[in-house]
Amino acid sequence: MKNKKTAVFDGLLGDNTVLSALMVISPVIMCGSTLMNAVALMYAFSAITFFSVLIGSFVPKRLPYAAKIIIRAVIASIVYIPVRTVAREFFPDVITRVGIYFPLLAVNSLIVVQSETKFARMKRGTMIASLVFYILGFDAVMAVTAFVRELLAYGTINGRLVDADTLISGLGLPFGGFIFLGLLCGLYRKVRSVIRRENSETGGDGNVSGN
Amino acid sequence: MFLVTELVTLLATNLILTQALGTSTLFIAAGNRKNLLWTAITITVFTSVGSGAAYTVNRLLPNGLADLTLLFYTLIVGAIYVLFLAVLYYTDFASFATARKYVHISAFNCAVMGTLFTITERAEAYPELNTFVRFVLSGAEAGTGFILAAFILTAAYRKLNSAKVPASFRGFPAMLVYLGLISMAVYALR
Repeated sequence: MKNKKTAVFDGLLGDNTVLSALMVISPVIMCGSTLMNAVALMYAFSAITFFSVLIGSFVPKRLPYAAKIIIRAVIASIVYIPVRTVAREFFPDVITRVGIYFPLLAVNSLIVVQSETKFARMKRGTMIASLVFYILGFDAVMAVTAFVRELLAYGTINGRLVDADTLISGLGLPFGGFIFLGLLCGLYRKVRSVIRRENSETGGDGNVSGN
Repeated sequence: MFLVTELVTLLATNLILTQALGTSTLFIAAGNRKNLLWTAITITVFTSVGSGAAYTVNRLLPNGLADLTLLFYTLIVGAIYVLFLAVLYYTDFASFATARKYVHISAFNCAVMGTLFTITERAEAYPELNTFVRFVLSGAEAGTGFILAAFILTAAYRKLNSAKVPASFRGFPAMLVYLGLISMAVYALR
């Protein structure tokens, strides 16, 4: 049985937002092709999700399910406004490039679905710690995806040209994003199952299993 | 020939295959054919009605308050969500108890919100699309595109989940690669 301490870290590896549950994958596929996009989206996702879930945790539990979902979505839409204002200062070009995927981060499954099914059942302290790791899980996948796709598709790292012999331009396109994420997801599952097997053989708590 | 042209157009403008919008929802619902069909139909209702309402919001919202667009779209979707549940409650109470836990997945997702934003973006680029009827039709088209993508995924669902696929790639990873290949074909169509 998984203990509480290790369950808090699940969001990073064992139950990764993107790779395990395939949540919030549209921005990763469409915008995770350069590190510049990735950094702006990581900031927006982290800020919107953290504050929305945190503020949403004060929504009375006795309210009807539908009302809670709507209130949480409205909170996220309000949190989005200052986040966008700040982003306009720091990432003016990226905001234009990312387009509709920036506001779409506010209706991500972590806020709308997971906040009710998972976070609402936790104590506030545990919830915050767990939420931080779920956010870091998304950020890590976004960073890795953007780094590899930018390097292989454009031969650059954060916009700087590197000495790459072979370029796969398709990786920078949406279909490349689908395929890359599929392969990354398969690799992640393989690693997770190996760690889980090792944990069970050595009598560990199997905290990487996640689900 | 007309049908083929329409099908190609629908594929080429498909929001899932070209913009990855609603992919998570598609995967959540993919486990059950009946679920997938109902999710797709519900999304079509939300995109069609929501697009009509989005047109009204776009007309009324001053340019200086563009950052509030998301908030208003969320309120629109919230209102449709409540209306949808109310209709379900009074027409088919047996289904209501089961459906109320799933309808929100069809309501608050990238497919619906993305459709509203995409249609608005297109209307800004092509003023002739900036009419109420065009908004509703585009919303319905996006929903139909979702149904088509759901159909494409369902066609291969069993094979992608079969024992022949390596355990690590079975299910979601294989479905992602599969959608990637379909998306590549659609990219060639464009």
